[in-house]
Amino acid sequence: MNRFLRWLGIAVAIFIAAPLVIVVPMSFSNARSLQFPPPGYWLGYYQAYFTDWSWLRPTWNSILIASATTMLTMVLVVPATFALVRHRFRGKGIADLMMLMPLAVPHIVMAVGYYSYFGSFGIVHTHLGVILAHTCLSVPIAFLVLSANLKGFDRTLERAALSLGASPTRTFIHITLPILRPGLIISALFAFIQSFDETVVAIFISGRDAETLPRKMFDSIRQEADPVIAVISTLLFAAVILGVTVPLVVAHIRNKQARLAAA
Amino acid sequence: MSHLKLSGISKSYGQFNALEAVDLDIAKGEFVTFLGPSGSGKTTTLMIIAGFESATSGQVEIENKSLFGLAPYQRNIGIVFQNYGLFPHKTAAQNVYFPLQMRGVKKAEGLRKAEEMLELVGLKGFGHRHPKELSGGQQQRVALARALVFEPSLLLLDEPLGALDKNLREQMQIEIKRIQRALGVTTIFVTHDQSEAMSMSDRIVVFEKGRIQQVATPLELYHRPQTRFVASFIGESNLIDVKITDAAKREARNDAIGAIQYAPSNRPPTGSEATLMIRPENIKLSRNPVEGRHNVRMKVETIINYGDNALVVGKVGEQMMRVRVLGADVVIIKEGEECCISWLHDSVYLIAK
Amino acid sequence: MGNCIARLTERKNLWPWLLLAPLAIYMAVFFLVPLIDVAIMSVTEPRPTLANYQRVLTGSLYLRVFLNTFITAATVTFACLLVGYPLAYLMANSKPRTATLILLLVTMSFWTSFLVRTYAWMVLLGNNGPIVWLLQTLGVQQPPQLLFTRFSSTLAMVHILAPYMVMNIYSVMRKIDPVLIRSAESLGAKGLALFRHVYLPLTAPGIANGSVLVFVICLGFYVTPVLLGSPREQMVAGLIGNQIDEFLAFGMGSAMAMVLLVVTLAILTIYHRRFGLDKLWG
Repeated sequence: MNRFLRWLGIAVAIFIAAPLVIVVPMSFSNARSLQFPPPGYWLGYYQAYFTDWSWLRPTWNSILIASATTMLTMVLVVPATFALVRHRFRGKGIADLMMLMPLAVPHIVMAVGYYSYFGSFGIVHTHLGVILAHTCLSVPIAFLVLSANLKGFDRTLERAALSLGASPTRTFIHITLPILRPGLIISALFAFIQSFDETVVAIFISGRDAETLPRKMFDSIRQEADPVIAVISTLLFAAVILGVTVPLVVAHIRNKQARLAAA
Repeated sequence: MSHLKLSGISKSYGQFNALEAVDLDIAKGEFVTFLGPSGSGKTTTLMIIAGFESATSGQVEIENKSLFGLAPYQRNIGIVFQNYGLFPHKTAAQNVYFPLQMRGVKKAEGLRKAEEMLELVGLKGFGHRHPKELSGGQQQRVALARALVFEPSLLLLDEPLGALDKNLREQMQIEIKRIQRALGVTTIFVTHDQSEAMSMSDRIVVFEKGRIQQVATPLELYHRPQTRFVASFIGESNLIDVKITDAAKREARNDAIGAIQYAPSNRPPTGSEATLMIRPENIKLSRNPVEGRHNVRMKVETIINYGDNALVVGKVGEQMMRVRVLGADVVIIKEGEECCISWLHDSVYLIAK
Repeated sequence: MGNCIARLTERKNLWPWLLLAPLAIYMAVFFLVPLIDVAIMSVTEPRPTLANYQRVLTGSLYLRVFLNTFITAATVTFACLLVGYPLAYLMANSKPRTATLILLLVTMSFWTSFLVRTYAWMVLLGNNGPIVWLLQTLGVQQPPQLLFTRFSSTLAMVHILAPYMVMNIYSVMRKIDPVLIRSAESLGAKGLALFRHVYLPLTAPGIANGSVLVFVICLGFYVTPVLLGSPREQMVAGLIGNQIDEFLAFGMGSAMAMVLLVVTLAILTIYHRRFGLDKLWG
C-alpha cells in the first residue's frame, strides 16, 4: 500500500514538475518553432527579448499597472480591513461578502462588463482602465491576507502602548504598523502578483496602448508561438523560484541565529 | 489621606450589572490585591482605573484629582498585563525605553534609565534580547520594568503570574514584593489565587458578583470573614447554618450538631439565622471526648493523607465536617469508624446572614 | 451622563463606516456597476427583449457548449482529486524533508503564471514535442493529434488547478490528530477499512473545498481552453469571448455571461450555506 502510494506520488510529482521545468531548456533552444528536445542551444531569444520593444513595452506596462494597482488596493483595503476585523456594526456581513465577491465572479464576466462600461467613459485601452479593473480583482486577495494577520494581532500590545503614554496615533505608528508590516508586505505582494498575472480582463480591455505582458503572451501563443515566450516563461519561473525559496532560506537562517542567541 | 479613591463605581452592560457601587480608598505605597473568582468584577474595576473601560457612574480620583475624561495614555498608570504585552519587534531595553520615548526623553538618557531599571528587576545584560528570546519569568520582569520606569502614580498587575509554573510563581511573588517595596509604588494586584493574595498583600479586596465583599488585611480576612462567601473563598472552612437561640449567652442551634456556643460577637439578635465558621485546623480529633472543649461524635468517611498533615472528612448527622490533623495523629482513626471531634468556643466564629 | 455616553457610542459606530467608505464606494462603482451593466446589456442589446436568453437557453449550439463546459469541469475536478489526494497524503505523512520538497513543488506550480504552464503543455504535447517523440521511438507510426484537442486542454487544466486541490486537502489532513488514527487501529481498523471509515470521512471537508473551488474556476476558465482546446469543442468562457471579440454581439455575450455567473454563484451559495464561503480561499 505504502509503496504503491510512493510511486503514485512520484508520478504525480513528475506530472507537476515536468511542465515547469521544460520551459527552461526551451528558452535556450535555437529552433524557430516548438521543438523538443531542442536541436541546438543559444542565447539569441534572450537577446531578442531584451532588445525588442514589442516585448519590453508590455513588460513595462505590466509592472506599471501592477504597481499602481497594488498602491490603490492597499490604500482602500487597509482601512477597510481594520473596520471589518475590529468593529461590529450593522451591514458588516454584506460588507464582508462584497469584499470577497470578485473571487466568485468569473473573470470573463467581468471582462465583458469592463469592456462596455469603460468604453462608455473612454478609458478602455488605457492604463487607468486596467488599473481600476485590476484593483477590484486584487482587493479580495489583499483583504484575505491582511485580515488573517489582523485577526492574529494581540490587542493587548496596543493597550500596553496606551498605558505607557502613547496616544492612539503614536500607538498605531510605533506598535500596530511595525508589527503588521510582514502581513502588509505579503498582502501587497499578493495584490501585485494578482495584477501582474491577470490575463482575461487585460486581453479584453488593455488594447494596444496599455497592453500587458500576459496579453502579449496570450496573443503571441495564439498566433505564432514566438520562442521568446519560453524566455519570458523561464524568467517568470525563476522569479517564482526565488520568491518561494528565499523566504524559506531566510527563515531557516533566522531560526538558527535565534537558537544561537538563546543558547 | 488616600492616594487612590474609588467612589460609587458602577458598570452595567445593558441589563447586566458588572459592578455595583464600588467604594475603595488606597493609601500611598500600599500593596492591595483584588481577589475574586472570574467574572467577579475585579478586572473590570482595574480596567476602569486604567481608563480602558468607562464606568456607568462613579468617580476615580488619584491625589484628589478626578481621572474622568482622561484617556489611558494621559493617566500615568503602569500596567503589567496577563500575557505581558511586550512589543515583539523591540528589544527588552527598547521596550522599557518606550514609555520614556513617549514622554520625550532623549534616547541616550532613556536607554540608560531602561538599563538601570532592567538591572533593578534582575535582568542586567539582557537588554539587547527580543521578547521571544527570553523565558516566561524574564519576560515578566521586562514587563514590570517597563511599567515602572516612568515612575507611574499607580502600578496595576492583571493576573501577571497566571502563565508561570508553580516554582517560578513563588519566586516572582517574592521578586515583585521586593521591587514594589524598593520603589514604594502604590500597587493593585489582581488575582483569583487566594494564596497569592495572602502572601503578597497589605490589604485584600474580595470581589464577588460585582460587589466588594470585604476589604481587610490577610490575617483579618482569614480569621474574621464578614460574609459566608469570604469564609468559603479564603482557606478551608466548616460552615454551619444555625439559628441563634440566645444572643446574650452566645448560643446557637444546628439541626445535626445541636447547641453550639460561639465566640464573642455583638451582632445578630436572638431568633435570627446565621452561619458559624470553624477552621478545620481548630478542630481536634480524638477517640474520647476532651475536657474543656465542645465535643461531638463524627463518622469518618474519607482520610486524605498529605504526609505532614491529613484531612479527615466525616459527618455529624447530616452535617459534613472537615478536620485537619497532624500527619502523626491520623493513625488513631480509620475510614468508616466513629470518633470524637472537639473545638474551643473561641474558635467558633459567627457570620451574620 | 447617560446621554453623553449614548452620543459617544454613536460616534464610535460612525468610525468603521468612515474606514470602510472609500472601498465600499470603489467596489460599488467599479465592480457592481459593470456587473449590473452586463445584466442590462443581456436584455437590451441589440433590442430590449429576452430573445438573447431564449437563444442561449434553447439553441443547440449554446446548450452543447454549456454541456461541454460542465463535462469538462467535472472531468477536471475528478482528475484533480485523483492526482491531488495521494500527493496531499504524502505531504501530510512523510518525513519533514520530503514534505517540504513536495510543498515547494506545489507552491511553485501554484505561483507560476498559468500562461506559462499552458505554454509548457504546448511544448510537451506539440507535434515536435517530447511525448510524440517518445511515442515514435516506441514504434507508434502515426502518433495521434494531441494538441488542440479536448484532451490537451483538460490535461493542462488538471495540471493548473491541481495545486488548489492539493492545498485544500493538505490543510485538512495536517490537522488530523494522529491519535485518532492510532485509536482506530487499536479498535481493529486496518488498511482499506481504516481508510474508508476513518481517514476518508475526516478529509471530506478538504475534498469538498478543493472540488468546489476547482469546479467553479474551471467553469469560467478562458485562457487554457482557448489556447489548447479544440476550436470545435469550445467552453462557455471562450464562446463569450468570441461574441465580444469577433462578432461584437454584446447582448449574446452578456446573456451567456449572466448564465455562467448565475450557475457559479448558485454553486457557491449552496456551498456557503453548508460550509461557509470564507473557508474556501482561506
